[in-house]
Amino acid sequence: MVLWVASRSDVFKKNMIRALFFALGILLIGSFLDPYNQSQLSVALIIFIAVLSITLLTGASGQISLGQGALMAVGGYASALLILNVNLNLWLAIPLALLVSALAGLLLGVTAARLSGPYLAGTTLVIALAIPSLANRFESVFAGEIGFSVDFGNPPHWLDNLIGEVGIEKWQLIVTIIFATIALFFALNILNTRTGRSWRALRDHDLAASLQGVNVGRSRIFIFMVTSAFAGMAGALYGLRGIVSPSVYAVSLSLSLLTAAILGGIRNISGAMIGSVIIVFLPDWIEAVTSRFSVPTRISDYLPALITGLLLVATVVLSPGGLSGSIHHKKHK
Amino acid sequence: MNLFLSAFFSGTARGAIYAIVALGLVLVWRGAGIINFAQMGQAMFTTYIASTLIISGKSYWLAFVIALIAGAMLGALIDLLVMRPLSRVHRAEALNSPAMKAAIPVIASLGILGLLQALAGMFWAGQERGFPAPVAIEGLIVAGRKMPFTAFDIFTIAIVALVLVLTSLFFRKTGTGLAMRATALNQEVAKLSGIRTTQVRVLSWIISGAASSLAGLLIAPSSILSPTSLDLILIIGFTAAVVGGLDSLPGAVLGGLIVGYVISFVNFYRSPEDIFLAILILLLIVLLVRPNGVMGSKQVRRV
Repeated sequence: MVLWVASRSDVFKKNMIRALFFALGILLIGSFLDPYNQSQLSVALIIFIAVLSITLLTGASGQISLGQGALMAVGGYASALLILNVNLNLWLAIPLALLVSALAGLLLGVTAARLSGPYLAGTTLVIALAIPSLANRFESVFAGEIGFSVDFGNPPHWLDNLIGEVGIEKWQLIVTIIFATIALFFALNILNTRTGRSWRALRDHDLAASLQGVNVGRSRIFIFMVTSAFAGMAGALYGLRGIVSPSVYAVSLSLSLLTAAILGGIRNISGAMIGSVIIVFLPDWIEAVTSRFSVPTRISDYLPALITGLLLVATVVLSPGGLSGSIHHKKHK
Repeated sequence: MNLFLSAFFSGTARGAIYAIVALGLVLVWRGAGIINFAQMGQAMFTTYIASTLIISGKSYWLAFVIALIAGAMLGALIDLLVMRPLSRVHRAEALNSPAMKAAIPVIASLGILGLLQALAGMFWAGQERGFPAPVAIEGLIVAGRKMPFTAFDIFTIAIVALVLVLTSLFFRKTGTGLAMRATALNQEVAKLSGIRTTQVRVLSWIISGAASSLAGLLIAPSSILSPTSLDLILIIGFTAAVVGGLDSLPGAVLGGLIVGYVISFVNFYRSPEDIFLAILILLLIVLLVRPNGVMGSKQVRRV
């Protein structure tokens, strides 16, 4: 029971400090890693941004989406087109891509606001499949299966002068840390303010929420817009790793985002972080173990998928709150 | 005209298979209140079993029957090992909102799908293989003219029609079928009238598992078999189920046929690339205009 509600500027300041600590922490960890793990860490951060969209959508407001990968594709294609055709740099292209995917989220929200549960899940799954196929349909604009090749560009010279030679992987990590920190800051603010409380009210009982003055339809559409912006940001960064093409944003991407959100814990932001680290690094960890034994490749190829599937089912059955949820739960007992 | 007839027959045969997929989804939805996203994973797994038997020299029909039995067993296992324990979980009180209660089984079924695909990859090395049909899949030649349908199309339609007749007899004439209909209508009341609803639940999963196996066996000859090759069919089957009405068995058949024709005509008259877009548009139109589907009876969506 919350008896004392912090003033808004207090909350903002606190969240700002949290986000900055997060950024410094990741930067510190990143500086000890080799280039391969640095780029893996930036993938984990990108996935983290995308998982945040699920944490907000499903965890905070109770709407399940299997189509976040499609919204990532919207962000990825928007930023690639802006970078290649309009010659924008990524600091302008990504915010614009974010707006484009928020618009896509608005469209999605208008159609999906009336749906719930399995209906919403199925419809978003169809969307996850249909949107990337548009790239083949309008091949002249979206370059079909081949897609666009884009990258993070080169680090600016003043950065080289400031902290010495910055490799491609480190530059990629720095860019993703900046965007992940912004995403984290916004997510924290949404959850800890009036907006977040109204979302949770909607999740727990939409009729009761509407009696408290929450406009159910409009809020649902707004939630889709905001979370699509997160997905779009992640999608733009995900594409900048090299290629923007339909196969990069396959349905399996949407499903692994959901897996990450559930494994870590769909209730809170630390869960999103834990889940993304697990999903990205698990294949490497399994590889590290299996390389010591002589495991036939047909087993080791599918071991990560098997273990993720097992973990997902076990989490849902044994502790639906996920890893962070079960810790949280015990603490409160 | 010939193009039209080809599209029509191919749409009927495809639609018959989608009807079976939709039937499987609707059965579990009615019996357990869950959309089973793992369904085509089960179908893929049992089709691999059938394929392995056929490759090792067993007859098509033996493999056919074994695949159906395996599908039924897999369905029962999923209910007993995952879905039933899941419905008993009340531990995390924070996850008890209706929204999350609907979301959790969806996620569980996706986990099972991933698990089945990984297992199939391990057992059968993820190799793509063809799958035989009991009759020719080339155009049938009658009196020297090439017909716009194949012998396998006729085989498919005949088998599906047989299954549909048997299913509807089962639901109309037997006590168990009546119990299943009662449970679908109102679980509490069915329980109070002495129906063991947990048994009805398992039975729904068993029939649905066998139905999806059948769908897998009928689809595999006209595509390749790989751990993920049937994923798309699930989405098509889901659309068919929603078009017909998620809680209606005749609706599933009608929805399957409608989706079959839409896909077939888009495929023949436009290009295969437009199929997913067409499915999405069909799904959105139905959800916006008639959210309960063409034949869905009661309000299945809660506030």
